[in-house]
Amino acid sequence: MPETLPAGIAAASPAKLPRRTRALNGRGSPWVVVLAIGVSLLSLLPIAFVIGVSWYTGWATIEAMIFRPRVAELLINTLLLVLITLPICIVLGVTLAWLTERTDLPGRRMWSVLAVAPLAVPAFVHSYAWVSLVPSINGLPAGVLVSVIAYFPFLYLPIAATLRRLDPAIEDVAESLGLKPWAVFFRVVLPQLRLAICGGALLVGLHLLAEYGLYAMIRFDTFTTAIFDQFKSTFNGPAANMLASVLALCCLAMLTAESSARGHARYARVGSGSAREQRTVRLTSGIATLGLCLQILTCLLALGVPMLTLGRWLIAGGADVWQGEELLPALLQTLSFGVAGALLTSLAAIPIAWLSIRAPGKLQRLLEGCNYITSSLPGIVVALALVTVTIHFARPIYQTTLTVLLAYLLMFLPRALVSLRAGFAQAPVELENIAQSLGRSPLRALWLITLRLAAPGAAAGAALVFLAITNELTATLLLAPNGTRTLATGFWAMTSEIDYAAAAPYALLMVVLSLPLTAILYQQSRRSAGR
Amino acid sequence: MNALDIINLSKSFGAQTALDTINLSVPTGSRTVIVGPSGSGKTTLLRMIAGFEFPDAGSLTLNGQTLVDSSHAVPAYQRQIGYVPQDGALFPHMSVADNIGFGLAVTGSARTERIQSLMDSVALNANMAGRWPHELSGGQQQRVALARALAQQPRLMLLDEPFSALDTGLRADMRKMVARLLESAGVTTILVTHDQSEALSFADQLAVMREGRLVQSGHPMDLYRYPDDEQTARFLGEAVVMPARIEAGWAHCDLGRVAVNTNGFAGPAHIMLRPEQLLLSDHPENPQGCNAVVTERDFGGNTCTLTVELLAGAGESSGRSLLVRSSGMHAPPAGSAVQLSILGAAHVFEVS
Amino acid sequence: MSPSVPYFFKHAVLATALLAAGQVFAADSVGIVVYNAQHETLTKAWVAGFTEETGIPVTIRNGDDTEMGNQLVQEGAASPADVFLTENSPAMVLVDNAKLFAPVAPATLEQVGSAYRPAHGQWVGIAARSTVFVYNPAKLPEKDLPKSLMDLASPAWKGRWAASPAGADFQAIVAAVLEQKGEAATLEWLKGMKTNFTAYRGNSSVLKAVNAGQVDSGVIYHYYAFVDQSKTGENSKNTALHYFKHQDPGAFVSISGGGVLKSSKHQEEAQKFLQYITGKEGQDVLRTGNSFEYAVGKDAASNPKLVPLKDLDAPKVDASKLDSKKAVELMTQAGLL
Repeated sequence: MPETLPAGIAAASPAKLPRRTRALNGRGSPWVVVLAIGVSLLSLLPIAFVIGVSWYTGWATIEAMIFRPRVAELLINTLLLVLITLPICIVLGVTLAWLTERTDLPGRRMWSVLAVAPLAVPAFVHSYAWVSLVPSINGLPAGVLVSVIAYFPFLYLPIAATLRRLDPAIEDVAESLGLKPWAVFFRVVLPQLRLAICGGALLVGLHLLAEYGLYAMIRFDTFTTAIFDQFKSTFNGPAANMLASVLALCCLAMLTAESSARGHARYARVGSGSAREQRTVRLTSGIATLGLCLQILTCLLALGVPMLTLGRWLIAGGADVWQGEELLPALLQTLSFGVAGALLTSLAAIPIAWLSIRAPGKLQRLLEGCNYITSSLPGIVVALALVTVTIHFARPIYQTTLTVLLAYLLMFLPRALVSLRAGFAQAPVELENIAQSLGRSPLRALWLITLRLAAPGAAAGAALVFLAITNELTATLLLAPNGTRTLATGFWAMTSEIDYAAAAPYALLMVVLSLPLTAILYQQSRRSAGR
Repeated sequence: MNALDIINLSKSFGAQTALDTINLSVPTGSRTVIVGPSGSGKTTLLRMIAGFEFPDAGSLTLNGQTLVDSSHAVPAYQRQIGYVPQDGALFPHMSVADNIGFGLAVTGSARTERIQSLMDSVALNANMAGRWPHELSGGQQQRVALARALAQQPRLMLLDEPFSALDTGLRADMRKMVARLLESAGVTTILVTHDQSEALSFADQLAVMREGRLVQSGHPMDLYRYPDDEQTARFLGEAVVMPARIEAGWAHCDLGRVAVNTNGFAGPAHIMLRPEQLLLSDHPENPQGCNAVVTERDFGGNTCTLTVELLAGAGESSGRSLLVRSSGMHAPPAGSAVQLSILGAAHVFEVS
Repeated sequence: MSPSVPYFFKHAVLATALLAAGQVFAADSVGIVVYNAQHETLTKAWVAGFTEETGIPVTIRNGDDTEMGNQLVQEGAASPADVFLTENSPAMVLVDNAKLFAPVAPATLEQVGSAYRPAHGQWVGIAARSTVFVYNPAKLPEKDLPKSLMDLASPAWKGRWAASPAGADFQAIVAAVLEQKGEAATLEWLKGMKTNFTAYRGNSSVLKAVNAGQVDSGVIYHYYAFVDQSKTGENSKNTALHYFKHQDPGAFVSISGGGVLKSSKHQEEAQKFLQYITGKEGQDVLRTGNSFEYAVGKDAASNPKLVPLKDLDAPKVDASKLDSKKAVELMTQAGLL
């Protein structure tokens, strides 16, 4: 499941608020500023860990740990994975989005839902499905196949949303200037998708770097799996820490690459007024058949295989697998982690979200930058940082639920932030002032107007965090308190013993819990398109 | 000679008729404005000329070349028709220069020069060339869009409500600038708008559309003075319409005896006067005029709109109220007794 | 901004802090905490019997040998763990070298054969497992079987065998090779292995791959095949086991260890637990249960389906000298990790 949503942050950046708002609310909010700075400093912890541990390790060890053939091997594996998977995902995402948004492909509405549905299946469950269907599947080709299947919706979603809201007049003008339809697509439409493609590709790329379960199961070594192996052998030994540093660097490199690739591209249409309906391309029957084949093939691979395998194992396991005495506690544990994590993360997001709407400025952009960078770091790096820091400097919270929740907070803060900020934006300060002029006390005005208006946004953000937590595997494996097990770690324990039948109920429960997330993402993307 | 001939053009979207047998000829070098309320089909007609929509029936001919008829259609990209939509629709991923140069076939320094001269012609500063569309004001965006469309030396220029997104003051300036520019370039132009004052001021030829039909076309002054029906009359400006009995070139109505422009017609009909045809004086004893009382005064600076109630005689109200324009300087206050006189002849609507 | 906003935040922060505090104190609960690197099912069976007999609740934290060994070392005196159970000895050595174990109660030591516990008595063997060469007879005829584990580094074995290098099991085997053959020879062997072998994650996966014919053979521990046979056998029916014997490094028998942490605040209960699992009931679980590991109790019998321990002719390796840190270092150096 998505661990970061940086594309969302970038899209919703409120840099252009009127100056007046700042003047009204910039003053006298030291509490909020202090809290916001506190949360942001906390979010810098993993980065501080990476830097600190490198410093502490010393150059000689760094050299020995980083400049060795194994690291080169992992680097090549990871690079190849990214370089092969991303273009396939982009082409697939653009093609499917174009088919569902711009053509008269039969059943395009249904196909657009089905193109998002694979997100309901956690990446490592995709892998589980494939490995139990084709046991010999492994290595780079398998890594690419399963990655494309598990992550292409992250590209499909923003591309489809952008295609839907592009100003059709721009395409009309291009055609009136003498461009053939295909040239219009490549010279005018595609460049306008740049921001969506960059954002989606970044999200997919970060997942490729961060994912553990998917690649562990199909025996494809990446940095993340190698860090995990080192952790299994040495706990937080120097090799694990140094690999984590390299991985963190890779993530930062990817952030930089994305922001420079984004360039001058803009999301919104220039000008005001309402966009007219998009023109629908009539497909010739040949192209329509090809398009349908692609949609069906994608669905079979991304939904058919998991459903088939899960169904097979559920039938093979029968009623017995549901009666294991660990399933219910795992479900309850997952739900309570989810609720507590969503609550904590939403609360932590309030000060920053508040500042970004009511007092935007340099400080607020800096604070958001901190969270943005941390959210791009893989769960394994965050977890490794928290293990090391809590064991040495914060022993009272070592191995407690609080540490797990802290990891969730660091990883999923942007989700809560984006939604909450949208919520606060629904409540301009003028409304609060009006309520006060109508005789409500400041506290009542805040409660009646601002919080009431921000509530749906906050709830959506909390739901996104909750659902991300239910599928989190890597950080939970490292940080879970003694004796606790979530659906994801329970599933992982079962599959590690090759007990695929016993793992199936865990997988099914995770899919069921993820369905609302998928629905929310789908809804959000349709709404952001303004239709 | 006509540049564009629209012949029996019809189009339906499902059960809804968008265009109903439209016929219109656009003379070469002229500025034709198609005006109508929203949903009247004017934009559909424009898009059909551009080649973005295709008719169910009828044909279009441009400079003798058939653009579309029942057997074939020239696609938009081969028509060489310039198109400027409502808010310019600049390519957001290209600079101003690249937007303008988009349709240019030349490259290198010739291209740069051409872009330069086009920017010059739409009064854009040369240092704007490197700017991005979102850094421009609404008026600048429109200028770029216009330059971009002019670059390919279009055989016809289509403007779809190009000024509606601009501020009121800017709108008139832009309109004049565009009109001058197109006239000097000799480009035949069709502009679509729902704004009657814009239509009247921009057009050589005005075409009024309503519910998919072209109800009247001609010189703007003629349409204003002699509309075919009351709806058109009211669409093009404020109008005083009242029943009358026509006899020998005179109408008898609540205003008394009013000259009309029909010869020979006699019988009951409706007449129309523009408010500026009603003159107001405060000498109630003039036997030529019609007595009235001011009931409301709406001061608007340079002009003042007065609501007056006509008196049937002996100070008795006839129950009919009219709007009259008056100079703001000498507008009588509410309650004043005034006298109305008529300038020019009233227009008689055909009785249907 | 209105004064009520900080008020709101204060409450929110307070609520979070309370939630956190509750979690912190909840960690310090009654009963003992076992850091368990043994197979979960086996430890669960032990815990169930122990809790039933003594009424002492047990919390299990699962992990791998060296992961938890290193974790205990880092946690030091403040470790929440009371008991540490491993699959192999090296991790016990690691923790012992950090002087973190309390001496095992003499009564417990008494129960275990002296071959299966270090002389100093800081920890004790709780079970044993033997290295085995699993192969697919359809792909590898019996006559071509290797004589020694060391042969597998030679070019003849390129692409023909598998192992799970990230697991503690294989790392224990490497530690045994290191102990017998020395550092240089071990590194040489590991480099040969890097060229020749295919990496899998977990011994079960190795067995499954050999069974499916994806790879000819693999180096694992003996019980994986027996466990699978006792279930459906679908992951082992096409495989056979080859014991190297002759005191070859590949005949290494690894001792699973158990120890009580010096820092434990529940010394008595922890010692009781160790006594239970090495005692009659605890060792009986190994004979009757589904683990198929060898029993190490003095009079305890192993599962009759297994090749008896004494027939395996294992090399004499001092369990307390197995150096997992060096083994992992060498494996990292050879590019296996």
